Amino acid sequence: MRILHGLKISLLVITIVCSCTIYDKIFDNPVDHKANEEQGIGAPTLVFYPKTQTVTQTDSILIGSFIVFKEDSTKPFSGIHLQIEFPNELMELDTIVPGIFITDTSQSTPLFTYTYDDNIVDLYAYFLGTVKLDLEGTGHLADLIFNPLTTGNDSIGYNLSECIIVDHEDAQIDINGMRGAEIIVQ
Amino acid sequence: MLLSGIASAFDQEATYLVLNHFDKPLAGIDRSLIDNFNNSTFNFDSSVDALFEDIDDHDNPASKYMDDIKDLGRTHNVNFVLLNRIQHSGDRLIMEGLLFNTRSGGLIHRRKINLKNYNNGLVNELSLWVGKTKNQVQKGWEKEREAILFLNPEEISYDKTPIGAALRSLAVPGWGQAYSGNTLSAGLWAAIELSLSLAFISSYNNYDSSAKSYLENIKLYDATDDEKEIADYRDSAEKDWDDHVLYSKLAITLAGTTLTGWVSNSIHAWIFGPRPYTNIYQKGMPHSTLPKG
Repeated sequence: MRILHGLKISLLVITIVCSCTIYDKIFDNPVDHKANEEQGIGAPTLVFYPKTQTVTQTDSILIGSFIVFKEDSTKPFSGIHLQIEFPNELMELDTIVPGIFITDTSQSTPLFTYTYDDNIVDLYAYFLGTVKLDLEGTGHLADLIFNPLTTGNDSIGYNLSECIIVDHEDAQIDINGMRGAEIIVQ
Repeated sequence: MLLSGIASAFDQEATYLVLNHFDKPLAGIDRSLIDNFNNSTFNFDSSVDALFEDIDDHDNPASKYMDDIKDLGRTHNVNFVLLNRIQHSGDRLIMEGLLFNTRSGGLIHRRKINLKNYNNGLVNELSLWVGKTKNQVQKGWEKEREAILFLNPEEISYDKTPIGAALRSLAVPGWGQAYSGNTLSAGLWAAIELSLSLAFISSYNNYDSSAKSYLENIKLYDATDDEKEIADYRDSAEKDWDDHVLYSKLAITLAGTTLTGWVSNSIHAWIFGPRPYTNIYQKGMPHSTLPKG
């Protein structure tokens, strides 16, 4: 009986020790420039948030487009041209709305327009602030809303070779990386 | 009360002067000597109070009383002087025997034993000693001494056993030591194991809260697209991650130490567990050459 008691205590200790799991240190938010750097993607970066989403066929797909700068090396910008490729057999574009960053938290109305053809969306925006010429730092550029067409999964991404960011003097700012997003329609 | 007796024993080859020095009156001791050694003659005299009390205070006890021994030899016309000294200590007897040669006056044989008293043990041990000096040991005396041993050891049952102590300590650290009567080590083991266990529990709780906090912060980090919130949650999650690793290692180390200590405590209880006493019979002096004759 006493041996059993001792064994129970030993088992309890072993169980507790085994339950001391060391979790993986995973930081993978696309809007986090450190997480992007850890994946070898330099800033400034064009990203989508969230990086993965699962929806049903009756849901809308809302994807945010962001520009991510490193904290200590931001560059002011005014205009953007984003070319976005999406799987048009999986979903169709519903609408695109300006992000909170490009509207300076709804204080200004930017020049904001887009065109799309098949699976490519071209988005043009220009910041039109009343007190400043440029935007600076990481921020929300636009929200893209899609409607699912069928079930399946695919990804949406930027065509970096066509994406352009300029400052108020029309000087181009280099974009060093992009991150797409995965959409799963169930 | 101190009793001293002088007896003279004569046999055909060697003559002995026997001096008995007892701390209590021992009825029938003189009679037993006469009966056991009937080929010898004994004379008893109680006029002497103390004999060679300080023999161990000298560097060379064997030669300390050479002149006195020679005098006794000449006075009583004997070859040897045999001194028997008996003290009672609780249920034990401390018996000392000294055999002197009256020709040289030196101490030629000495015996000192400490043994548990047994039935008629005193008379029997005295007979054994005197018999040994005279080479007249009877088998019956040796058999009687064996009475202090258990005749049927297989029938001995122990109320307390080392394995009992070990099992108790395995159940509760220190219990086995307390069961063996070692209260100090019982307290020490209990305190050590309690401290280790508390330290382990504390480390595990810290690990658990750090791990939960890490998972919560990771969830919040993933759920926001606000740059500032992302930085804050990431900082908190990184700190929680470092803490959960630290406390996990600490908890594992402490758990290992606690477990090792627990088992060691049980082994200690077994090693120092209750065992039967083995000092029933203790010989104080080595044998020397017995006188011939």
